[in-house]
Amino acid sequence: MIKVKNLHKYYGEVHLFKGINFDIERGEVIVFIGPSGSGKSTFLRCINGLEYFQEGEIAVNNIGLHSINRLRPSKEDMETIRKIRLRVGVVFQQFNLFPHMTVLENIIEAPTRVLNIDSDKAVEDALSLLKRINIEKKAQSYPDELSGGEQQRVAIARALAMKPEAMLFDEPTSSLDPEMVGEVLAVIKNLVSEGMTTLIATHEMDFAREIADKVVVFDHGDIVEVGAPEDIFTNPKKERTKIFLNRILKR
Amino acid sequence: MKKILRILSLLTVLIIILYWTVPSKSDISPIEKIKKRGYLLWGSDAEGGAPYVFPDPKNPSKLIGFEVDLANAIARELGVEARQSQNAWDSLLPALKRGDFDIAMNGIEITAQREAEVLFSMPYYIYTEQLVVRKNDTQIKNINDLKGKKVGTLSGAVAQDILMKIGGVDVKVYSGQVEPYEDLAIGRLDAVLLDLPIAAYYAKPNPKLKYTGHPVGEGFYGIAIKKENKEFKNKIDEIFIKLLKSGELKKIYKKWDMWDKTQENLFQQIKTSEGFVSLQESKKAPLYTFFPNLLKGAGITILISVSSMALAITLGLILTVLRIYGRTPLSSVAAAYIEIYRGTPLLIQLYILYYGLPNIGISLNPLTAAFIGLGMNYAAYESELYRAGINAVPKGQMEAALSLGMSQSLAVKRIIMPQAIRIAFPGITNDFIALFKDSSLVSVIAMVELTKTYSILAATTLRFFELGLIVAFLYFAMSYPLSLLARRLEEKLMGHKR
Repeated sequence: MIKVKNLHKYYGEVHLFKGINFDIERGEVIVFIGPSGSGKSTFLRCINGLEYFQEGEIAVNNIGLHSINRLRPSKEDMETIRKIRLRVGVVFQQFNLFPHMTVLENIIEAPTRVLNIDSDKAVEDALSLLKRINIEKKAQSYPDELSGGEQQRVAIARALAMKPEAMLFDEPTSSLDPEMVGEVLAVIKNLVSEGMTTLIATHEMDFAREIADKVVVFDHGDIVEVGAPEDIFTNPKKERTKIFLNRILKR
Repeated sequence: MKKILRILSLLTVLIIILYWTVPSKSDISPIEKIKKRGYLLWGSDAEGGAPYVFPDPKNPSKLIGFEVDLANAIARELGVEARQSQNAWDSLLPALKRGDFDIAMNGIEITAQREAEVLFSMPYYIYTEQLVVRKNDTQIKNINDLKGKKVGTLSGAVAQDILMKIGGVDVKVYSGQVEPYEDLAIGRLDAVLLDLPIAAYYAKPNPKLKYTGHPVGEGFYGIAIKKENKEFKNKIDEIFIKLLKSGELKKIYKKWDMWDKTQENLFQQIKTSEGFVSLQESKKAPLYTFFPNLLKGAGITILISVSSMALAITLGLILTVLRIYGRTPLSSVAAAYIEIYRGTPLLIQLYILYYGLPNIGISLNPLTAAFIGLGMNYAAYESELYRAGINAVPKGQMEAALSLGMSQSLAVKRIIMPQAIRIAFPGITNDFIALFKDSSLVSVIAMVELTKTYSILAATTLRFFELGLIVAFLYFAMSYPLSLLARRLEEKLMGHKR
């Protein structure tokens, strides 16, 4: 469903991705792990067009995204990116809810204005989504009246309201207080169990182990190792994987 | 090269914006035009004061003065009414040339220089220059004693030329006729040389001042008419001869105590005297008589401030969006606009808009010019406030909006701007109050708003203090509720954080 071919990305002089190739099948759950700055977030953001890349191709459902002029992207390029974004939902580390809108307004904003869904229908869908994540009581609250965990759950609902075919989670629990991590992971688990194609960058190793079909280990912009969770966590083949796991599991 | 392009595109935008205000030109003669319109528009500066044109202290919404009487007589002969059009004295002739009024009559001395620019009617008054000094002064006997002295006069008046020609005189130029005498009385000046009618009204009643020497430099006041309106000038001359023969002119001068031997060269003698207002009387008029005028001025101040702020807020928003999200030619135009408007004085912008544009065929009425001038200037400042607001919205907001499939323009409209405006709001409120007070600057383009009303009334009555307090209070009474309202709006926006 998502095909990444020969992806190159530079940050100024730094050559981060040196030709990554990676394919994701429909319904797969891929967890990306690796030290901070290893490129796992950037990789996810490239798929959604939030990061530009200089070389290579990313195709989502056969919609091809090439390297584009980042200063003056052409109309067609912008439209291609938008088409991909309509199929791929994103959940950010910082939630990024719209602070001037209520929970309900946050969720129906894009369906009504981008997909032109009738607002009664959009509200109905939004309320059932809120019920699924168990915060329908907060529909009329503003984001700053919610806890971090609640905000992140709303952010997930907001992305789901666009009926995406795949979801990208960019360290969804990294800015949460520890007691709220569980509720967010539970929502993601629920989503995965329904068969959603899911890509997650995370530092939650237990969660990764439990949920992943494949674990991808990133380091310095390279994919070090790809494998089933059991193999990666109990029997890593690469030295860089071992060093990273040692460091993170000791904590 | 790039800079020139920027300036050119800015000018283009400016001209397009102004295009709709261009009045259509007609070929009908001025006399027909006046008759059709039903009134004669005559330009003068009521701030110049008595005895020419000034507000009646008993009823300040009415203008009186010998030139008001003259204008009424002329208009009557034309079969219409007379209406005064307020304009700063120094710019009466440019305003006449741009067609703001039919004639300019306000103690305008006939000089060769001016005759090159406009037509003059036959003289309607022979003026002389009177030297005034402090009562205890014994040194200055006539204008030959002025070397090395500080002498006050009016900007652009013939007296100024006379003083310049003497040489070695420290000439202090004023824009109003009250201030030189005030400064003379308190010792900032050694003498004042001005037209006799001015001295008669302002200096003669002042116990601290006295006339010295005989009047000098005989000259003529004439009515200025647009150069191409020869036929109209002949008509005015005809009317003058009629008024002169009937003795009506003489009667008017007698009424204003402006009669002197010199005038006999022009007129025969007839005697009457009625309705003359002296400075003493002006000083005694109760304060409430000035309220209708002041309130009218305040109304215009509000009208100008509110309308130009609305323009500034809208135009500022467009500029910001173009600057931040627009593509290169547009974003550079917006950036250049902002820098040029912030980097040049508002006063100059107003002058260019009002007196400069007629040179390229665009003539705005004062209200439009004030609205556009203030609005376009403040738009540059509002734009910077919006920009600061946009920069303060976290980057993640745009990313979240885009990731939901919104186009950039939808994201700006729905997600970024609502948050940016909330952040910019206190600054915008602050600017509104500043604009409110800056609106007094538009008096240079012939708008009589509150400050201008004040200076006109104060110049005639010399009551700078009481009237000043009242006007300051009026400004405060308007701006304070405004800040309260703004604060409540702000609380409503921020209080719930939205």
